[in-house]
Amino acid sequence: MILLPAIDMLEGKAVRLTRGEFDQSTVYDADPLDAARRWANDGARRLHIVDLDGARSGAPVNLEHVRRIAADVDVPIQVGGGMRTIESVRDVVNAGATRVVIGTAAYTDIDFLDEAIAELGDRVVVSIDARAGKLAGAGWTEQTDIPIETVIERLSARGVQRYVFSSIDRDGMLAGPDLDGARRVAEAVRGTYAYSGGVSTLDDLRALVELRQVNLSAVIVGKALYEGRFTVAEGQAVLDG
Amino acid sequence: MTSVAVVDYGMGNRRSVEKALEHVGARTAITSDHDELRAADGLVLPGVGAFPQAMRNLGQLGLPDVIIECVERGAPLLGICLGMQLLLDSSEEMGGAAGLGLIHGEVTRLQAGGLRIPHIGWNEVRFERASSLTDDLPPGGCAFYHVHSFAARPSDPEAVVGTTEYGERFGTIVARENVFGVQFHPEKSSRNGLSMLHDFVGICASVRA
Repeated sequence: MILLPAIDMLEGKAVRLTRGEFDQSTVYDADPLDAARRWANDGARRLHIVDLDGARSGAPVNLEHVRRIAADVDVPIQVGGGMRTIESVRDVVNAGATRVVIGTAAYTDIDFLDEAIAELGDRVVVSIDARAGKLAGAGWTEQTDIPIETVIERLSARGVQRYVFSSIDRDGMLAGPDLDGARRVAEAVRGTYAYSGGVSTLDDLRALVELRQVNLSAVIVGKALYEGRFTVAEGQAVLDG
Repeated sequence: MTSVAVVDYGMGNRRSVEKALEHVGARTAITSDHDELRAADGLVLPGVGAFPQAMRNLGQLGLPDVIIECVERGAPLLGICLGMQLLLDSSEEMGGAAGLGLIHGEVTRLQAGGLRIPHIGWNEVRFERASSLTDDLPPGGCAFYHVHSFAARPSDPEAVVGTTEYGERFGTIVARENVFGVQFHPEKSSRNGLSMLHDFVGICASVRA
């Protein structure tokens, strides 16, 4: 299991949102590259980059930052935010992303998802953003009644193998991970997934390790790293057991 | 160079298997990545632990379908220890579970007739019929290192290539077309084990050629 530091970019800066709300953002690094370098130097094995400006506008906005990060740091990066067309997917791949994270469009535009999978195979990651075990829609502002298991089953049938599961209620709250949700996702996924949301202590990481789910392959951590609650190296050591 | 992927599902003797395969000249990767498995010339399914947990882990990683797909495409597969048992239809271990069904039959508790369980240690394997997996080994049989409490019972006697005696005589090398399984640990069985793995890599190479 790897620790996956998150770099969310808003107005070109590395920020953290609270519960995904744009008006509750805190800027941590004016230049996202500084965050990327810091996490990579501290032993991150991969980075999770979200272009929030892209998510808001529907196409990647911070491609230049993606390019700079990919060229500068030695670790693979996965990039999401605003992935709604195959052209956008190609843009981030050309900018240096090794994996592309697709959100809402994976649910609303099946042709696009099929196209992305046909082109990138398991370099496609689909994010499942959920509240109380049900899929949340665009930008986390909408809520559906679809259980995450149903969502995963449908995506698997289309060839999706990798997921990011975000528990929205926990995001940016430092309130501990959604262990029940993580377990439910692990049961349903036929591939691997990264957990995201609420991790604030090394004990939270230990609790995720204790789930002993073989397909839980990464834990995304944001605010806790930016606030220095623990370092990438300390977190990774816990995940390595 | 022939590539052999060691299936990573979170259980067992992956590193020692990887090292042994590299020693006999294969390029190896320990992986659960579907595309990496598909790209390999052959697969090794290792395993130590309980059958139901192993099938559960494989399922969660989406691996049973990928393994079966590779086998159907012709890629050689070698199951080692628990990995061999997983090739069968089912096991009675810990309440029972379905296996991969690549070799028909079931896995049941070893009937050791009062001998200590688990069966641990070096024991002679008798070769019952010719197989490309045992080509370079001493004719008739040789010793391998065993650690197990359950035994595979293939329904087709033709699938049993080698047997071991421990309270009862049971199949410890099984084969059907490009699917192979060994109950013992070739990666811990010194020269004869490495010779067998070398033959397996050779089988992978010939399929690829």
